Amino acid sequence: MRRKTVFSMAWANLRQRRLRTTLTTLGVIIGITAILAVTSLGEGFRAMVTEQIEYFELDVVMIMPVGRQTYFTREDAENISQTINEVATATPVMQKMMPTGLYRGEKNATTFLLGVNFTEFKIVYPERLVFGEGSLPQPIENDTIVLGYSVAHSETGEVFAGVGDEVTVAMYVGGSLPIRNYNFTVVGVLKEGGAGTLISIDNMVLIPLSTAEEIYQTDYDMMLVKLVDQKYSESVADEIKDLLQKPLTALAPSVMLQRTGNILDMVELFLVGIAGIALLVAGVGIMNIMTVSVMERTREIGILKAIGAKNRNILSMFLAEAALIGLTGGLLGIPSGYGLAHFLSYALSTFRSQSSNGFMQGGEVALNITPILSLSWVAGAFVFGLVVSLLFALYPARKAAKLNPVEALRYE
Amino acid sequence: MTVILEAKDIKKTYKMGDVLVPALKGVTFKVEKGEILTVFGSSGSGKSTLLHILGALDRTDEGKVFVGGIDLSTLNDSELADLRLRKVGFVFQFFNLLPRLTALRNVELPLTLADVSDKECREKASEVLKLVGLEGRMNHRPTELSGGEQQRVAIARSLVNDPSIILADEPTGNLDTKTGFEIVQLMKRLNEEKGQTFVVVTHDPAMAETADRIIYLKDGLIEGIKKGSGRL
Repeated sequence: MRRKTVFSMAWANLRQRRLRTTLTTLGVIIGITAILAVTSLGEGFRAMVTEQIEYFELDVVMIMPVGRQTYFTREDAENISQTINEVATATPVMQKMMPTGLYRGEKNATTFLLGVNFTEFKIVYPERLVFGEGSLPQPIENDTIVLGYSVAHSETGEVFAGVGDEVTVAMYVGGSLPIRNYNFTVVGVLKEGGAGTLISIDNMVLIPLSTAEEIYQTDYDMMLVKLVDQKYSESVADEIKDLLQKPLTALAPSVMLQRTGNILDMVELFLVGIAGIALLVAGVGIMNIMTVSVMERTREIGILKAIGAKNRNILSMFLAEAALIGLTGGLLGIPSGYGLAHFLSYALSTFRSQSSNGFMQGGEVALNITPILSLSWVAGAFVFGLVVSLLFALYPARKAAKLNPVEALRYE
Repeated sequence: MTVILEAKDIKKTYKMGDVLVPALKGVTFKVEKGEILTVFGSSGSGKSTLLHILGALDRTDEGKVFVGGIDLSTLNDSELADLRLRKVGFVFQFFNLLPRLTALRNVELPLTLADVSDKECREKASEVLKLVGLEGRMNHRPTELSGGEQQRVAIARSLVNDPSIILADEPTGNLDTKTGFEIVQLMKRLNEEKGQTFVVVTHDPAMAETADRIIYLKDGLIEGIKKGSGRL
């Protein structure tokens, strides 16, 4: 029997039982939809996270202390840049991660204070230390302050301070010490850097490292290490640990990117597994409906055998029906899955912006995932749907093929 | 005359639950090309079983069947199916057409199974339907046809692959006398015009009489063979 004939007969059979066929196909559609919604959201999320991580320069490793009693010294930084070949520059940074009040007359703003060696910082983050207004004076005075874009410009467009303005930092150093005020002169405002999740330089102010040291009365609590190439991230992190013999942690964006990727792989696989169950259930649905169908068509199978149909003709007729269900389900499941992903992404974005607390810059951090339909997942889901359909149809189809013609003809 | 079908001492026993029911206890006869042979017997005489075995739908327990000189016991299931497709045509009491398909498509089925091209399928099926007098009813489904018309479609279907023999199981059993008469006439006409060989199973003495030869079957054994009147 020619393939075309087999499929046209299968199609006629399916059309005959329209409601049943529709419902059975719906099972497959739901399965494919679930898989593709999960994967396209997953791929979208991956892209978003990757973009966020890549916002950090991938060739910079951040060295941070573990515990409150560990600090870094200038010697540590010099030691690193001189000993480790793969390191281009290492610079210490003072970054007490606590919100600090900034005042100018009646106006005030909340910011984070970052003490840096401006020259080295510029080498490490050449694309961050870019001035929108003003520039670095030479020599750098102790009361120099550079404002991040969002600090200088409030969300309403109001200007908090500009070049030449005097601002006051109100500093709560800790313990029972009173809040102390330090006066600075604004020398520049940075260009807008864009959204990053972990640290956004837009919300920070930069002051000279020596001044920060004076204010806090401690050594430095972070080092930025610029590498010759990002591929050394992991090895350099290990070398620094060996070299300094201090409890420290190395935050390497490139390593983070890789690890996050691995975690996302696992999560995605897990979710696909769950979605896959929906498809398996659809398979059981196909098996169920085909078993009934074989029973109903017993006599018809008997007739076909009497007029000369071979077992494999009967088998292929039933498998063709399953294949058509699988194909249709797959074809309809692709747009449906993509659509569901968009709907979910919309739902997620509204949910997140309502629940964000403002501290993390509100809407900026909202989970805006753009679903990505990857060809390999589409192909995978499609093939999986087809295979499941055929696999589950195999049992009833074989049953049909093996019917004894005489008994089948007698069946009422 | 050429022998087209030969049964040699065929035996068949069915198992109904725990009870063994002997349906055929040793049946031997030959069918010659171009004849109409009726197998006459009451219900339970084993005549349907005999027909199934002759038509390669069922196998014997003992004894052999030869169709066109081929020993059916040497064929596997797939080869038997092929033999049913090309050498044997079946006509049933309850017509056994596929209800979803038009008369034309029903008749095309054996051709489709034999991988005949669409165009040839259509041509041959229409031709055969014309032969049985249904040229005007080709695109009707079985439910839109009378019993007699349905049986004509069934005969057309059995005929379409040019089988060496057509086996009919009570072909008039589900029809009124007049319509049954017409079906017998049709078979006789096909026999005369095309030399088509028929083996017809019946429990109707009048129907049996129309054949060239009559085999009387009782309790799985041949009681006697005699010449029929050949007339309606």
